[in-house]
Amino acid sequence: MHVGDHEVIVKTTGLCLGYGQRMVLVQVDFEIRSGECWFFLGPNGEGKTTLLRAMLGMIRPQAGQLWIHPELGQRERIGFVPQRCDINPTLPTTVREFVLLGLVGIHTDQNDEALRLEWALDKVGLGRLEGKDYWSLSGGQRQRALVARALVRRPSLLILDEPTNGLDLAAEDAVLRFLAELNRKEQQTLLFVTHNLAIAARYATHIALFHAGEVVSGPRREVLNRQTLERIYGVAVEISSNQSGASVVTVCPPERRP
Amino acid sequence: MIHEFIDSWALFHNTYLVGWLIGLLLALVGVLVVARDQIFIGAAVSQASTLGIALALGLGSWTATDALEWLHADAFLSAMAVVFSVLAALLTARGGEDGKESHEAVTGWVFLVSASGAILIVSHSPHGLDEIHRLLSSSIIGATQRDIWTFSALVIVTAVALAASHRRVLLFALDPAMAAAVGMRLKPWALVTSAWLGLAVGLSIRSAGMLYTFGCLVLPALVAKNVCREVRPMFVVAPLVAVGTASVGFVLANHYDDPPAQMTVALLCLLLTVAWLIRRLRRGRV
Repeated sequence: MHVGDHEVIVKTTGLCLGYGQRMVLVQVDFEIRSGECWFFLGPNGEGKTTLLRAMLGMIRPQAGQLWIHPELGQRERIGFVPQRCDINPTLPTTVREFVLLGLVGIHTDQNDEALRLEWALDKVGLGRLEGKDYWSLSGGQRQRALVARALVRRPSLLILDEPTNGLDLAAEDAVLRFLAELNRKEQQTLLFVTHNLAIAARYATHIALFHAGEVVSGPRREVLNRQTLERIYGVAVEISSNQSGASVVTVCPPERRP
Repeated sequence: MIHEFIDSWALFHNTYLVGWLIGLLLALVGVLVVARDQIFIGAAVSQASTLGIALALGLGSWTATDALEWLHADAFLSAMAVVFSVLAALLTARGGEDGKESHEAVTGWVFLVSASGAILIVSHSPHGLDEIHRLLSSSIIGATQRDIWTFSALVIVTAVALAASHRRVLLFALDPAMAAAVGMRLKPWALVTSAWLGLAVGLSIRSAGMLYTFGCLVLPALVAKNVCREVRPMFVVAPLVAVGTASVGFVLANHYDDPPAQMTVALLCLLLTVAWLIRRLRRGRV
C-alpha cells in the first residue's frame, strides 16, 4: 500500500487524551493529509506533546479515535525529530552511526541500509560528512543529522518537536528553509510542534492551535486570525503580510490594545 | 615467562579460564554501563553483592550447622550475591524522574548501605570478615569447573543477544527518548538490562571478588571508548582488551608471584591512561 497524493494519513475523531484522571485534550477532531505542512501551536502545557506522543503510540486515547494510515504501520513510516538529543557527549560516534540508529524496527539489508543512509544525508546536505565525528558538527549540522536520522526511515510523516530550539538565527533559518523545501519539492508531510508563532505564520500550510484542552485546526489562513489568537494567547495581536507575502503576527503594544 | 605460565596451566587452568570468561562477559555488559554513563551504578551493584554474601555468611553463623545445611552451601552464597546485585541494579535503574530522587543519590545510598552493612554483619565472625576482605581485595584463584560452564553460558547468551539486537541496544543506551518514539518499550528494556547487569556482576563477585569484577566491568569499555570512533566496535574492542590484558596479567602475576586479579586491573588502568593520551593526541592533531 502506498500513500497517495493528498490522501488522509492521520485522522482524529472525538479524541480525548490524558494521564490517569487528568484530561489534557478533549474532543479533538482534525485530519492530516499527505504533503501538508502542519504546525501544532500553543502555550506550554496545553497538550501539543501529548497528542504527539499519542501519534507515536506512546500513550493510548482515553476516548475517541486516532486513525493512522496503514502504510505508516507500526509507526515504521513515521520519522521523529526530538526536541533534545540526550546522547552521552563523551561517547564516540560518527554521523553514519548516529543516522543509522534511526533504522531501529525496520528490516533492511546492507545494500538498502547504505542507500537509505546516502539518500537521507544528501537530503539534509551532510552527504560528505558520513564518516565525520558527530561531536565535531556545528549546532545546525547536528540538527540536520537529527532530521537525517528520522528521514532514513523514509517516513510518510515527519514529526519535529521544537526543531530549532537552541539554534542561533542563521542555523534556525537554514534548518527551516531546508525543511520547507523538503515539503515543497518532495511533498514530504511535516508536522512541527512549536510555540513559535512567527515560524508557523511563515511556513505552515495548516495549523492546530492548542488551548485549554481544545484544538482549533485547519488551513493557516483560516486559523491564524486575530480573534482566535487573541482568545488563545490572551493578548491583542495584529496580522499583516510582509514583502514576500508571508503572514506576520505581532503583539500590539499596550497603548494600542482595546 | 610464557613457559612458566604454560607449566602452571595444569594447576590454574580453571582460574585462567574463568578470569578470561568473566573479563569477556563484564566487558560486553560494561559497554552498556559506560554508554549510559552509569559507572557509579557498576560500583554500587558490585558492592551490593558483597552485602548479599555477608548476609548469607551471617545467617550461616547465626544458625546451627546441621539444622539448615543449605545455609552454608556455596550455591546459597552465590544466590545471595546475585539476588542483592540484581536488586541493586533494579533500584538504581529507577529514580531520576520529575519529583523523584536522582540516580546519583539512590546509587550513592545503595553503595554506602552495602559497604557499611557488609562489614557490620560479619564484624563478629572472623571467618565471615576474612571472606568479605577476600572478596573486596579480589582473588580469582579457586575457580571451579562449574564456574567455567556458568560463565561460558552467560558469555554466549550475552553475545548472541547483543548481535541479534545491537541497533536496539545502541539506541536504548544512547538515546532512550528516541527509542521510545520508535516503539521500544523502555521499562522492560531497563528491567532486563538491569537484571542482566546484576546477574553478571553478582556471579562474578562470588568467583573473582569486587576489584576484578568492577575493573573488568568499566575499564575495558573505557579503553574501547577512547580508541574507537563509534559505539558499535566498542562491543568487539572491549572484550578483546579484557581478555588480552587478563592474559598478560596472568603471565606476569605467575612470573612475579603476584595476585592475578590485581595485576590485571593495574594493567587495565595503565592501558586506560595510554588510551586517554592517544585520544588527546588524536584530538590535538585534528
